[in-house]
Amino acid sequence: MANQGGSQHGIARTSRVRTEAQRQRDLERIASYRVLEDDLRARVKNPRTAYADRASAQHVFDLTTRLLRLNPEYYTVWNIRRRALLVLLPAGPKARRGDCCDRSSCSCLGETQPSHGCPKAGRSGTTADDAGDHTSEENDEEKKQDDEETEKQTRTMLQTELEFTIPLLIESPKCYWIWSYRLWILRQSISRLPVPVARGIWQAELALASKMLTKDRRNFHAWGYRRHVVAQLESDALGGGSMVEAEFQYTEDKIRADLSNFSAWHSRSKLIPRLLEERGADEKARREFFEAELDKIHNALNVGPEDQSLWYYHQYLMLNLTTLPPNNEHTITPTLPIEDRIAFLRNELAEIRDLLEDYDNVKLIYEALIDLTLDLCRLEGKRKPDEEEKENLREWLGKMKELDPMRMGRWRDFEEGLRREWGVEA
Amino acid sequence: MESLSDTLWDVVICGTGLQQSLLALALSRSKKKILHIDPNDFYGGSEAAFSLQDAESWVKGLTGGFNGFFKSATLVKSEGTTGLGPSRAYYLALAPTFIHSRSALLSQLVSSQAYRQVEFLAVGSFFIFKPAQDPCFRPTLTRIPSTREDIFSSTAVSTKAKRMLMKFLKFVLDYEESPQLEQWRSHADAPLTEFLGEVFKMDAELQTYVLTLTLSLDGNISTKDGLATIRRHLSSMGVYGPGFAAIYPKWGGLSEIAQVSCRAGAVGGAVYMLGSSIKEIETVQEDKLLRLSLSSGDTVRTRLLVRANDSSGFGLSISRLVAVVDSPLTSFFQPTVEGAPRPAVAVVAFPTGSLTTPAGATYQYPVYLSAHSGETGECPNDQSVLYLTTLSTPDSNEILQKALDAFLSTEEAQTSHILLRLQYEQSGGSTDLCAENCVITLSGTPLSLAFDDSTLDPVKEAWKHVMGEGAVESEYMNFPDREGEADEDEANE
Amino acid sequence: MSEDFSDIPEELYLATEAHVKYIQSLDTRKDEYDYWLTEHLRLNGLYWGLTALHLLGHPDALPRADAIDFVLSCQHENGGFGAAPGHDAHMLSTVSAVQILAMLDAFDELEKRGKGKEQVGKYIASLQNRQTGTFAGDEWGEEDTRFLYGAFNALSLLGLLHLVDVDKAVEHIAACANFDGGYGVSPGAESHAGQIFTCVAALTIAGRQDLIDKERLGRWLSERQIAGGGLNGRPEKKEDVCYSWWVLSSLEMIGKTHWINKSQLAAFILRCQDMEKGGISDRPGNMVDVWHTVFGIAGLSLLKYPGLQPVNEVYCMPKSTISRIFGR
Repeated sequence: MANQGGSQHGIARTSRVRTEAQRQRDLERIASYRVLEDDLRARVKNPRTAYADRASAQHVFDLTTRLLRLNPEYYTVWNIRRRALLVLLPAGPKARRGDCCDRSSCSCLGETQPSHGCPKAGRSGTTADDAGDHTSEENDEEKKQDDEETEKQTRTMLQTELEFTIPLLIESPKCYWIWSYRLWILRQSISRLPVPVARGIWQAELALASKMLTKDRRNFHAWGYRRHVVAQLESDALGGGSMVEAEFQYTEDKIRADLSNFSAWHSRSKLIPRLLEERGADEKARREFFEAELDKIHNALNVGPEDQSLWYYHQYLMLNLTTLPPNNEHTITPTLPIEDRIAFLRNELAEIRDLLEDYDNVKLIYEALIDLTLDLCRLEGKRKPDEEEKENLREWLGKMKELDPMRMGRWRDFEEGLRREWGVEA
Repeated sequence: MESLSDTLWDVVICGTGLQQSLLALALSRSKKKILHIDPNDFYGGSEAAFSLQDAESWVKGLTGGFNGFFKSATLVKSEGTTGLGPSRAYYLALAPTFIHSRSALLSQLVSSQAYRQVEFLAVGSFFIFKPAQDPCFRPTLTRIPSTREDIFSSTAVSTKAKRMLMKFLKFVLDYEESPQLEQWRSHADAPLTEFLGEVFKMDAELQTYVLTLTLSLDGNISTKDGLATIRRHLSSMGVYGPGFAAIYPKWGGLSEIAQVSCRAGAVGGAVYMLGSSIKEIETVQEDKLLRLSLSSGDTVRTRLLVRANDSSGFGLSISRLVAVVDSPLTSFFQPTVEGAPRPAVAVVAFPTGSLTTPAGATYQYPVYLSAHSGETGECPNDQSVLYLTTLSTPDSNEILQKALDAFLSTEEAQTSHILLRLQYEQSGGSTDLCAENCVITLSGTPLSLAFDDSTLDPVKEAWKHVMGEGAVESEYMNFPDREGEADEDEANE
Repeated sequence: MSEDFSDIPEELYLATEAHVKYIQSLDTRKDEYDYWLTEHLRLNGLYWGLTALHLLGHPDALPRADAIDFVLSCQHENGGFGAAPGHDAHMLSTVSAVQILAMLDAFDELEKRGKGKEQVGKYIASLQNRQTGTFAGDEWGEEDTRFLYGAFNALSLLGLLHLVDVDKAVEHIAACANFDGGYGVSPGAESHAGQIFTCVAALTIAGRQDLIDKERLGRWLSERQIAGGGLNGRPEKKEDVCYSWWVLSSLEMIGKTHWINKSQLAAFILRCQDMEKGGISDRPGNMVDVWHTVFGIAGLSLLKYPGLQPVNEVYCMPKSTISRIFGR
């Protein structure tokens, strides 16, 4: 399985042998760790007693705090913490309406432990539940105060949980379980707090995701996390609207800071269809948008022709030309007439060929030229390459073999394909 | 405590300029007996920074000849200067030198723990001044792109030019390796611009961009030196964060480094006396000791004396103009990439040929302007300090004034007014070190806009002399953190 | 067909004995703090170690009975397995449990002494999101194509794939596809070699390779090999031994292993060995761990490096195990 937890990444091998003193220190650490672990395990062995009342739950909760600080990878302990927290969290106004277990806000089906969080496990007294039966103004006022108190308490507890994970994340930024726990806490805010309050909490989370991406521009988890947070902020549950323009600008900023940030280029490609749709872009606007993107990637290739990230984005833009109706409603210019597509491709061939004048030893340029030539043949009624094109294809393929012998098997397959499908003899 | 004259000093350091102060830092954990004096009543020597009042008395005092590196100083407050703040709101630097991130000075400040006392600010963009083609238009400033992302975003250069720049950037990063080496070796002593034109086919404008990055004072740097300087600049980019290649110590640049170093010396037990000069040096005990008569009336004995050569008139000479203006010049101090800190310093180059002399001839040298925001602590936050520098010529004072006026007529700076002008000439030292008869003479700091690492060499040489056989190279400027040490020290006492 | 590794320098060879000893030593390090901190990976670790031993031709280097006892001691009432006794059930450890039992030919023990195959299948099936087709890791966790692959892997080994909505799951994988031919962790996510492996393998198990753009994917995967011979997981990133598995097995599944330089990759993996104490690290000179060890060895096996048992590219288990179970 693709679980990287516990593996050693990038830590230099040492021939260090532990001294006896170090061994003793390890044994002491093990002993105190295990005492803590045993204590917690003994308490949760019987779930009925472990979370039976606030005091027990609080005790369990405190043990998880200590243990997780020592070992944030211990997923079972995160689960125990969730169970304890569900007892400790006050049953909020939303909860009393019976939707604390609202599944719609959960991205997974998994939360099968809602009973712990339901009204019966509310605050110490029963007034909150009883209050619903009265209608007098006095009671309403009391109920309002109760609600405010509950909300404040919930918010404080959830905030405390989010803060608890921060030092752990700084220590282990790629620990899956911490992120998973954070998301769970954030989801609790949706189901337990008024929308504006929950929204504030999620907005702060977006800022955190940005900060992480400033530190590590291509952190895979952080990009995925950001997408998830944005999706939540856009959702009805948080009273949100589209953030596609802002996110598109975000990719622009990231690219300006580092052209090689493929994560940002990728994100851009995923945002574009929605962006255009929400802008209500007509044919002209779409064409202009496409031209602007082409311009941008030409500019980028002009200064970084050996950068794979840029060529992948270039390929994405070319797909826009070569993907024809009816299966192209998600492309930038779905209604572009075929003649225009061909004109774009021809222009592209000229643009990319121009790069060769100054960069004649970059394999990716030759690869793009071959792709563009064959794309052109396909668009022009699946015609065979003419003699000049054949000559070019042979020359470019030869260059690729010369510049990139590592992938010789691929070039040979390609050569064979050229011969078989396009009549280009070697 | 023993009196000054009872003590046999291991070394007397005279002057608190950068080099002497760094020596004090280097010796601060050596347990040597050190007396550190300065004829001036301020710290920093040629690298000092002044309040308005201090600057005024410095200008007056210059005629007294305390520091032979400076001459022809004037200070003019503009008419009706209601805009000027109180004297202490300013801290005008004699050496507004910035430090590249890869400079050895920074690694020494880090390994010696002195960096903890310094607040570093980012040096932002470099701009090129272009005179107006037509008197109806304003002159313009163009930002020099110096990273791939900069070049990508730049609208100032053509597509082809961008490729040339990229090729050059890549070339220069490994310029000392093969096959790059073979490309420039035959041009090593020829002007850099010639090399750029011939080998990289750059046009004059592009050559200017690259040349500006070298900050060459005479605009005629050799290929060998130019490549080294540009490599330093480019490899420094991003070392301490995105978007900047150099840093500037808050509170007067090198002045702050000198003061922090002296403070480390004092913590290490050195005795400090400002306003004390050496009146007489006498060799005693068969040339093993020196007896120094100080202007304070004390006579002290020392094994070694380290002092600065303060005889002027050798090396280069530059003219400086320091102007305080009443605008924060905000547009110059913008971070250029996401995640970059807000810069406190920006540099504008007036390339050779962009300014004309009063006689109408083209001025033969470039002029550089360093703009400092209030963030540097050198002026109030709603003002800026502009430091202009050019090689001294009969016209240089007027040229600096012209450059300042031209800068203030650009779109970006047009609303500012000059509140104060300080002008002076400064001659530079060389990196030679002279040691004879227990006297070590440091020749002063080379004149350059960016810190020149060769400044550090004589300091280390002097340190070796003082340490004698006890000099362990690996321990030079390499100290454990004092905070961690504190407990142990107490236990030992 | 035997591969040509003749250009690999002689001092680079497979340190089989050292690796076996290293894996055997893993459960004897109870005086090391890290041993206790990694208990949440115990069952996965057993799968990694056992697979490596099988491929190294030493399947009995860990006692079979002990291994089975340990696996069964991790099972919960609901059928799922935790990483160790006292740990909550999770998809990842459940899949490892099934894989270990498959390698040890011990499904009958699961019936006799455990909760039975059917119960395991039900646990896994309960983690499918019936709306989107994808899978969660546990009752709380997030969804990820890793879990989908894990579910397909274990259920197919158990012969219980019918318990889940395979078509829905396949639809979900299709939604994770990107224009570069690769797959991301969820719809919208960037292509990543690890996720590509899980998606391509899941599609292979489901018999839906027709959905893969093999040409484009092959190009993307083959570009993962960088100077020095190692493979990276995404463009412009560093190489790492674990991608010797994720990338290579994906290439194998689409029949394009010959698109990279095998000999250079083998040499890179061999350079990551600790020749003395055994084990393989992410890059030469780094600390070894069992995770990189198994994927390094599995990579070498896929490359047909001499002295190794053949590995199945979809399951990351010995081919012999897979043939026994599927009778082919």
